[in-house]
Amino acid sequence: MNFFHKISRPSWLGICILIFLFSIIVFNGMINDWGRASQGLGNLITFFNESLWPPDWSVLEPQAYPVCTVYPNFMDFTCSTAWIGMVETIKIAFVSTVFGTILSIPLSLLAARNLNQSWVSYSSRFILAGFRSLPSLIWAIFFVILVGFGPLAGVLAMTVYTVGYLGKLQYEAIEGMAKIPLDASEAMGLTKFETALKVVIPESANDLISQAIFMFEYNFRHGTVIGIVGAGGIGYYINLYLKFLQYDKVIAYLIIIFVVVLIIDFISIKARSYFTEEIDLPRSTWKSIFLPSFLN
Amino acid sequence: MEKIPWKIEPIIRLNDVTIGYNVKEPLVEIPNLEIFPGEIVAIAGPSGVGKSTLLKTIVGLIRPISGSIEVCGKFFRDRPDRGELGYVPQGLGLVRHASVLHNVMLGADAGHNTPIPFIGVFRPSLLLSWLLKKKTAKKKAIQAINSMGLEEKISEPIRRLSGGQQRRVATARTLAQCPKLIIADEFLSELDEKTIDMVLGEVTKYVRSSNAALLVVEHDITRAKMMADRLLVIDDGRINPFITEPTALEVKI
Repeated sequence: MNFFHKISRPSWLGICILIFLFSIIVFNGMINDWGRASQGLGNLITFFNESLWPPDWSVLEPQAYPVCTVYPNFMDFTCSTAWIGMVETIKIAFVSTVFGTILSIPLSLLAARNLNQSWVSYSSRFILAGFRSLPSLIWAIFFVILVGFGPLAGVLAMTVYTVGYLGKLQYEAIEGMAKIPLDASEAMGLTKFETALKVVIPESANDLISQAIFMFEYNFRHGTVIGIVGAGGIGYYINLYLKFLQYDKVIAYLIIIFVVVLIIDFISIKARSYFTEEIDLPRSTWKSIFLPSFLN
Repeated sequence: MEKIPWKIEPIIRLNDVTIGYNVKEPLVEIPNLEIFPGEIVAIAGPSGVGKSTLLKTIVGLIRPISGSIEVCGKFFRDRPDRGELGYVPQGLGLVRHASVLHNVMLGADAGHNTPIPFIGVFRPSLLLSWLLKKKTAKKKAIQAINSMGLEEKISEPIRRLSGGQQRRVATARTLAQCPKLIIADEFLSELDEKTIDMVLGEVTKYVRSSNAALLVVEHDITRAKMMADRLLVIDDGRINPFITEPTALEVKI
């Protein structure tokens, strides 16, 4: 008899309440002055009125640095730091997603337990877990030390993290695929390499593509941060103005990032809906992405 | 050494084999079973009795509990040579997101082509022979697709085909492989009468003409009697030969 079968519903509720109470006790143990929490709202209002609002949209105007010229006058926002930083972030995210995907596919094929002996898969998993163990920000610090400031460090850091994270998603997708095609190809006598190339990759291609698109979205969101340590992208400018205490410019950057993240998220959801497993499922429409379901 | 015609080596030879997933619960005991080239053998029996397990054991996907299994001259653990064994599993095992041609080419490649070794990139002669083999394989694949009546679906992905069409694709994949031994798990279910005649006709023609063997699980006992030279019935965990009338097999030997 399983232990969990003996617990009836009321005692499950009791366990949940106990866990919650326990977390409150732990939380209380960490806080020595509850008065600070009540000051927070007042501080926010002061800070918001004095420093944050209104946002300083001068970040969308061309600056003396970086040097840049553009012929039609109405396009001069493309010379602003916000635009240049954002484009660089997107470039870093795109390049590192492509490189990371290329590198992670062989590793995830090796890591899948249904294709390999356990020592092969576990050693490959060990490598993937190693890449994944540090967040991309820490990888960025590491690569900034190695190759210096700029987008090169950003691309390297994001690529390494992408390999670790995407590799895990991919080997889970590969392990989720049906066993019978593998049986059939084993019976036919196809080599492991042929099986991987002609059976496993086409069969799990939908998952692999949709995960790569998700990874691009994820990399873009993280790419805004890695600039803080000097690895290129819009984070560099945010860090710059944070140091000068120009919070109104920082909030302008944050609003721009928020809007672009939303747009890229929507595009990603839309693009991934083309790679759902069953063709019978209705594809998500633009309306269903933008509006909550009860408004459809 | 010249082969003596009246001493034909069996393609499958099972001796005192016990099969099953669990050592404590053996499913079927097979004291002795030999299947010769050019022979069609059907296995029948109630469901859950271990027919598919027997086929999987012969294919080499499950290890037998005891006994010796020899398939295409190789004993268990050693696999038959590439392409010698064609397997149509019950779940078909097709690559669902790829085209019909891609799937049939898997079998054709297994039977007629070997992957190019890496050094082949630097050796034109190797590359050329590989390309020629690839061409043969493609010809065989298209032939097999045509023989199954799937010409129009050749570039259609598998998931858009009906169940019966998918079954024909799996059969075409095995035929394109030109194996010595075909092991098929209910490859005629979900087909209508006309298609059954066509598929069975093609497979029988292949088996007879190229002296291959066919081992098939068939639910329908009348159809099994009709198509097979020998019918084996699994009952009570034993395999019993069901004597049918002497057929082409005797004539051939």
